[in-house]
Parts: sequence; structure tokens; C-alpha cells
Amino acid sequence: MSAIVIRRGTRLREQPVRFTFDGREYLGQVGDSAASALLAAGVRAIGRSIKYRRLRGVVTAGAEEPNALFTVGTAPAVIPNVVASQLAIADGLVLRSQNRWPSLKYDAASVLQAGSGFFGAGFYYKTFIWPSWRTYEKLIRSLAGLGEAPGSCALGPVAVEHLSCDVLIAGAGAAGLAAARAAARAGARVVLCEREPVCGGELEFEAGTIDGRPAADWVTATVAQLPTLGVRLLPGTTLVGGSGGEMIAHTEPGGLPGTNAIFKIRTRAFVIAMGAVERPIAFIDNDRPGVMLLGAAERYLARYGVRVGAELVLFANHDRAYATAGRLAAGGMRISAIVDTRTAAEVGAEPLRAQLGRAGTECLLGHAVLAAEGGATVHGARIASLAAPDRARLIRCDAILVSGGWSPAVHAGLQEGGARRFVAELGGFIAAGQPDWRTSAGAANGRLELGAALADGHAAGVRAASHAGAAGSVGAAPLASGDAVPRLVPFWRSPASLAGEKRQFIDLQNDVTVADVRQSLAEGFVDIEHLKRYTALGFGSDQGRLGGLIGAAVLAEFRGEPLADVGTSRLRPPFHPVTMRSLAGLRVGAALRPARRTPLHDWHAAHGAVLEPMGLWLRPRYYRANGADSFTAGIAEAKRVRTTGGVADGSTLGKIEVAGPDAAAFLDAMYLTKASTIRVGRSKYMVNLREDGMVLDDGIVLRLAAERFIATTGSGHGLHMLSHFEHYRDTQWSGSAVTITDVTEAWAAIVAAGPKSRETLRAVLGADWHDALGRLTHMEFATGRYAGSELTVLRASFSGELAFELHCRPASAVTLWEALVAAGLEPYGLEALDILRVEKGYLVGSEINGQTTPEDLGMDALVRLGNLCVGRELLDRPAFHEASRPRLVGLRAVDGRGRFLAGAQLTIPAAPNRPVGYATSTVYSPTLGEWIGLALVAREHSADGTVLTARDPLRDGDSVVRVVPTVHFDPASERMKS
Amino acid sequence: MTRLVCPFCGPRHLREFEFHKTVAAADAGAFARVYERVASTELSVEHWQHVGGCRGWLEVRRNPSTGDVLEIHLVGGGGEA
Ligand SMILES: [Zn+2]
Repeated sequence: MSAIVIRRGTRLREQPVRFTFDGREYLGQVGDSAASALLAAGVRAIGRSIKYRRLRGVVTAGAEEPNALFTVGTAPAVIPNVVASQLAIADGLVLRSQNRWPSLKYDAASVLQAGSGFFGAGFYYKTFIWPSWRTYEKLIRSLAGLGEAPGSCALGPVAVEHLSCDVLIAGAGAAGLAAARAAARAGARVVLCEREPVCGGELEFEAGTIDGRPAADWVTATVAQLPTLGVRLLPGTTLVGGSGGEMIAHTEPGGLPGTNAIFKIRTRAFVIAMGAVERPIAFIDNDRPGVMLLGAAERYLARYGVRVGAELVLFANHDRAYATAGRLAAGGMRISAIVDTRTAAEVGAEPLRAQLGRAGTECLLGHAVLAAEGGATVHGARIASLAAPDRARLIRCDAILVSGGWSPAVHAGLQEGGARRFVAELGGFIAAGQPDWRTSAGAANGRLELGAALADGHAAGVRAASHAGAAGSVGAAPLASGDAVPRLVPFWRSPASLAGEKRQFIDLQNDVTVADVRQSLAEGFVDIEHLKRYTALGFGSDQGRLGGLIGAAVLAEFRGEPLADVGTSRLRPPFHPVTMRSLAGLRVGAALRPARRTPLHDWHAAHGAVLEPMGLWLRPRYYRANGADSFTAGIAEAKRVRTTGGVADGSTLGKIEVAGPDAAAFLDAMYLTKASTIRVGRSKYMVNLREDGMVLDDGIVLRLAAERFIATTGSGHGLHMLSHFEHYRDTQWSGSAVTITDVTEAWAAIVAAGPKSRETLRAVLGADWHDALGRLTHMEFATGRYAGSELTVLRASFSGELAFELHCRPASAVTLWEALVAAGLEPYGLEALDILRVEKGYLVGSEINGQTTPEDLGMDALVRLGNLCVGRELLDRPAFHEASRPRLVGLRAVDGRGRFLAGAQLTIPAAPNRPVGYATSTVYSPTLGEWIGLALVAREHSADGTVLTARDPLRDGDSVVRVVPTVHFDPASERMKS
Repeated sequence: MTRLVCPFCGPRHLREFEFHKTVAAADAGAFARVYERVASTELSVEHWQHVGGCRGWLEVRRNPSTGDVLEIHLVGGGGEA
């Protein structure tokens, strides 16, 4: 580590910072980015490319940097793909280069050089085909991907702030500042986001005057003035996406994820002043470390006092290159040559060119850089006249600075769709046809010249404020003069042979070359969207901001069509990479979603219940006292219910009260069978259909009074069924006298099941209930009181045993439950419930899965009753009666011993590879001593006794099963009715 | 389109609402209602419920190409916003 030479730049302080890169320690200064500090230390190669593993260097000074992506931090807080040009260094920061193994200098895979043909365009599509995939999988997996995903990541909390404003402005360069000032003066509430930590954009280095004073002074004064006008300024904050006036911005102090904040900004109007992205020109080996954007060199000099080279060759197609050259020369860099692709007639910048010439710079018109010479870093530029490209000569240099013009930053305006328009003098696209609340301004709108950008920004600010209803007096637009109009003549790539095209890079991050575009076209991928998918052009962290347009231009060249007609691929959020952790914001862990707990939740937790989520509910799966795992505990609990009895928490069942003069008629329309025929005090098992005839849900409907019902629903279905009922009440039954109320949490439900349930209930509920419990027939209920609180006892069974559902108020649930347990009814969970209901052939979501009609589920008799309910009409569709429709059946192993599991595919001997159905639910039945199941099987193969093969290649392998009736146990239901 | 204006509750964030379906013509038969809904790029007539508010069912008419909401009223008429 050499002694530090203090650099001076707009962002630097004279205070050293130590950090490490690939294990070596470096010194930088406070204010440095990782990229500037490494450049200042003379580090040229900072990583390898994703496919060809070519050494790469820093190319840009912005967020669109394609190469300088680092893995930051030490385990467990490791973050890959952090953009070095946006990352502020700090003491102790640990950086590692990416895409190299075992080290940056010696990469095992760098034999896969461009031109070797191994990784051509469409490589993945051609190689990832069985069986060759097996050959390549191991190699490819070790190489694939940008950076390396951390196994675990302990990132800190993310602050989430919601903002609301009249005008949101993205970008605080000249146009954004002018827009913010105008909108705020008009009276609008303004939020101004700036991706960089400081405002001013190009004015950080561009010499110019605004309203008669130096541009930099105007920036300082305006930034100081904005807060007094009520503008909320968010520096270091990137707008990453949004829609319809709610934009999402993301701030990472120092560019380092993990210590960041998300802003959700609701705005009435949106001004996009995100500037323009300088684009390169493709030439042979234009990816070598030392080839950099011209504007990046200027930024590194002005901001960080970094000279990116000692001897430069500039390669450009516009006049602004000469102004920049003057500033680089003033900064102490020698400019050997300016290679300009334009003809003498197209070039301006006369006095500047003469001045550079006098200082010893060769100004070559009608020339191009054909190739970058060198190895790990640039040694020279091979240049030639465009009129005679085969007569090239070498100019020695240690950096080639390229500028092919600027592409307006249209991303934010086009992520929701919308049109764009080609502007010939830019050789690029601007957003067009935007909604009136959204407007582009300044360079983002194609206004590259300072005066025009300021005027455009000012006008956009006025327009946005007025859209938001603020129309106060704003004063005049700033008057300015800066760098001259660029007079750009589009130029995309230098002449090259077919072999040379393999090393003309257009998308550095994805290693896409001109040859890839040619190949893509030759193989029929002619559209820009095809090209993107086939070559990966425009994917990655820079989202094609650097190379996307060049790719389109090269495609246009090969297609022989204007670039305007070829267009560029669709833009999508996020604009800049954001960690998933940031997007999750506060919604992590327990805060991810609300939890619903039954009144008995604490009792379950205190008594060894293993809880399982069901929708938002948590329900006991089994109790640890009954077994070490769900299988053994479930069997023990189920066995006990059949021999003596047990209690289960049924509080998660949805309960919807439907009342009013039209309640019965309304429910008749909601269910496959009629509710109006239920007598008061009785209940009925009923199913709902969807509009298309599929079974939606099932449950028991209780008639409390002539005009008052309670409909129970499946545990996860309560809210959905509530909406379903409300929808029909408000559409087809609008005007009917029906009220629909969710009473799910107004009643706890305890199921007491088993041969001893009646006598236990008599003991617990007392003399008041003695006769009622004896009198109640199946599906009948009685209401009364228990311990001073309301109680409904419904005799119904989901286990096949004599059973009662006790609906009590939540406050008395624990008392009642504990009394039942004390009286000898031990609790059982879902695992046992599942065994009991499969033994009886009762249905759950595995069978009522949204794809089964009532006939599929064996409810033909209910359909034949002819009640005209929602969905009934479509049950007559011929397709629902074909032999291939499924039919619910029971399954047992032919040998009475084999195991088969839910999900196993069922086949017939004639077609061993084409399933005719699958097992929906399977359990080991302790009562029957064997595995049993339910299945949906094509009707033509569903006859009793049919032998099928249950295929389960990933778990149990094959077993031979036979179709049996769905009710495995007690088919006459004598126990339930006892 | 991140806000809908509920006729009862006023402008509310989209996350308070639940999309249900696009609506077929009123005179469509049962089969057409389910299977023959035509997606238009200009006009989509949809049913939404304000589940995070008044639980009202809303008929939302919007332009799917632009995301512009053209009209919202309670299903079954009334309460135009
Ligand atoms: Zn509402």
C-alpha cells in the first residue's frame, strides 16, 4: 500500500478511508465511491464478464455501470451485485470481485473466450435439452448467474415512509431543479428525488452560466432555496418503479443495501427529469479495462480528482467531446487524439478544435477507433479513416474514452406502457403520448443543451403544478448558456470483419456482441423482443440502459430498416436493483400477515399442541402427549375417538348469519339443495356451486328461526363465502330483504365426538340439557345456556361417531372445553380428524378443489332434486357427463397391506404412462388396520373392484390398488345415529 | 390506477378492494356469462368489492389500455361517484 496522494474533487474530503478489495487493503478518501477509489489506486481490472470471463474495468460513473459490480460485506450480511460507482467506501468495507473462480487473475473458465464459440447466442436454449443438459449441468451451474446468491442474509430493518405530494420530480439536475422551483413557487407541494448524493447533475462539472452567474453557484443557491419553498429533497434516493401515481423510491445510504429506506410516494403529477445515459460505440475489444465512457472520465475527474489515464484517445460523434476534452486537458491529462466519425461539414466546435490542435491533440474527422489494443489493460487504439478502414494505424494510449451520444432516461415514464418517439438529432427515443399527469423534462426529454433543459424543466414544473391545481405566479425560466448543441450524427459500431464482430461488445453485462445480433437474426429472431430473449441483451442490473439502443441499432442495420421502426424492447421496473428485503419493508416475520387465533389457542399452546396454519388460522395438528410425530399421534387420537371419544376445536369454521324475510329464498339460490325446506331447529348438509357449476364449498346450514339461518363454511373459506353471498345479494338479488353477517368470531365451536360423547355432555352441561341431549336426532339442534352464557348444541358428525357441535360464546369456550376434558374427552387434532373423515368418505379441499362438479363427487341425487341454484344450469353441459370426467371413489391396497399416498397417479395396465386419476386423500386407518384413500378417477375406470396402479416415483414407488366405495367404515352410519 | 373512488367511502387505496370478475352483458345466458366474456382493450366492466371498507360491491368501468377509471357505481345502480 503506497502513501496516499490527496486528491481534490467536489465530493471529496481530505480524510482517508481504508477498505479491502479481494483481500487487499486500499486507501481512499471520504466521499469516494468504490469505483473512484480503485481507479485512483490504479486498479483497472475489477471483475470478469458473465459468459466469456474476460477481464473488465469500470466503464461508467453512474448506476448504469455494467461491469463494476461487487459482492459486499462478510457473512452473514453478504450482498452481491452492488454497483461500485454508487457505493460510498467506508472504513473496513470488504469488497470482492465477481464472476471469477478461483481468483480474478486466474479464472478457470476464462478459456471460454469470446470467439471460441462455446457460449454463442441462444446457448442455453440449445444446450438445456435432455440428455445433453446432464453433461453440461455441473459446469454451467458453477458459471451461471451474475454474482453469487448469499445462502442467508442478515440485513437490517428497512424504514418505510409514505409521502404524499402534488408534484414528484425524479432527478435534481438542471431541469429537475428548475421544475421543482417553478412547481413550488406555483404553490404545489413538491418532493424531489435525486439518485446521486448531491444535486446538480451535469452542472457538477459542465461550465456554464445561469441567470448571469456560474452554473454551480445557481445550483447551490437553488438547492438552498427549495426547502424554504416547502420542497422535500431526497438525495441519494432512486426512483425504482411505480404505477398510476404511486411511485416507489429507494434510498441506500452510501449505496449499500441493508441500511435503507423505501418511500412510497403518492403524487398528483410526476416530472421525469432523470437525464440521459451516455452510450458507447462498439468496436473490437471495446470491453478491455481502460475503455470508458467519456462522460465518466469527466465525472471521475471533477468529483474525485481521478485521472483515468495519462494519455487518452477520445472517440465520439458529436461536438461536446471537444468541450469535455478541454476540461480533461485542463485536469492534467494528455489527449493524443480525438477520433470523430463525422465529416468536416457536420462538425462544429471550431475554436475548441483549433485550441486542442495547438496543444498537440490530433483531431481526426471521418475516422473511427477500430480496436482497442492491449491485454489486461489498454495500450493503444487502432484507428482508421472510415473511407479506408483497411488502412489502420495505432495510436498509443492508456485509455480510450468513448461517447456515442445520449439516450434520454425514459424508463420511469414507460414502465406502465405508453409510446415513444424517435428523435433523429439524438439518434434515440423520447417518451411520447404520456398521460397528462406525467411529463418528461430536460435531457430525459431530449433537451441536451443547458438553456433548453432549464426552460423545459421550468415549463414542466409549471404544467405539473397546474395539473395538481396550483397555479400561482412562478416568475421566468432561468436563462443560461453552457456547452454548445452536440450536433450529433448517430454512429453505432466501427467497421469490422465477421470475425471481428465476435469481439464488438454491445451489452457488456450480458456479453452480447454484434455477432450475436447477426446470429439471432439468421436464426429467425428478428424482432427486438426476440433479440432480447435470445441473447439476453438488456437484462441485468443496467436493464439495457447502456447497450440496449446499440443492440437495436445493429439489428436495424442488419435488417436494413430505420432504427425508428425497429424500436427498443419494453421497459419494466425496477429501474435499479432493489433487494427483496427492501421491498418486503416492514412486512416480514410475524408482521407478514395478520394471525387469527381461536378462543382456545392459548389452551392448545399450553397443552402441547403442534399448530398448523390454515389460511390465517392456526389449528392444532396433534397433541405431543399422544405421540412423537403427527403419524403416531394422529392414529392414537383417532383410535380414542372411535373407542371412547374426544373433543376438537372447530372454531375456525366460518359462520355466516343470513336473516330477513327473503333469507330462505336467497339461500335456496345459493345452495344446490333447498334451505327453505329445513324446519326450524334442524340443519342440513349443503353444497354451494360456483357460477360455472363446480362445487365451491360445503357446510351445514342451521335454521334458527323462520327468517334466520346460520351457514357454516370450510375453515379457509369463511371470508370468501361471505363475499360470494354479498355479491349475489347485491347483484341478482338486489332489493331483496336479506342481511348477511359474518359471525365466525362471535361463536366458538367445540366438537365432542365418540360413543361416550352424550353421557359426558350430560355430566358437564347439567340437568337442564339432560333431556335435550337424549331427544336430539341427527342434524337437529337445541339452544340454551351453559354457565350463564348462550349455547347451541347441534348433533352432527364429521367423524362418523355420535357427535355434537357446541357453539358457545368465545368468553366461555375455555371453561366448557376444560370441563369436557376433565370429564374424560381428550383433545384430538386435524391429523386424527383427517383419518376419521377419510374412513367415512367425507370431503375436504382436496376433493372440493375447484375442478369437481357435484356429480364428480357422487352427489347425483342432490342434483336430481332440481333446485335452480347458482351454477345449476351449467351442470347440464355435455362435457360434464363424458366418460373421462372424474368420479370420487375409495381406494384400498389389493394386498391389504401396501401404502399409497395422496398425489399418487393412478394408471390402468393398458396405458401405464397416462394417468386416469389420482389419490386425493390417503390415511392409515387404525380401525381397519390398513391404508385407505379417496381418489378422483375417470368414470370409465371407476367401477367398484377396478384394479389400478398407484404410481409415486418420487416417494413410495408403485403399489396396486383397487376401487372401493367411498365410505370405508360403518357404511350404514349406525354409530352416528346411535 | 392505484386508487378507486368508493361511492360510500371516497378515494381509497387499491389494496382495500378485491377484484372479482369482468362482467358479461346483462342479457347473456349462463354459458355466455361464464365462458364468452370478451376482453376489450377500450372498456372493461368489472365487479370489485370494497372488502377493506364498506364491503360494497362496485361496478368499475375502466380502460385497460390506459388504466383510466371511467366510472364507478354500486352494482344494482345508485351511489354514482
Ligand atoms: Zn366503500
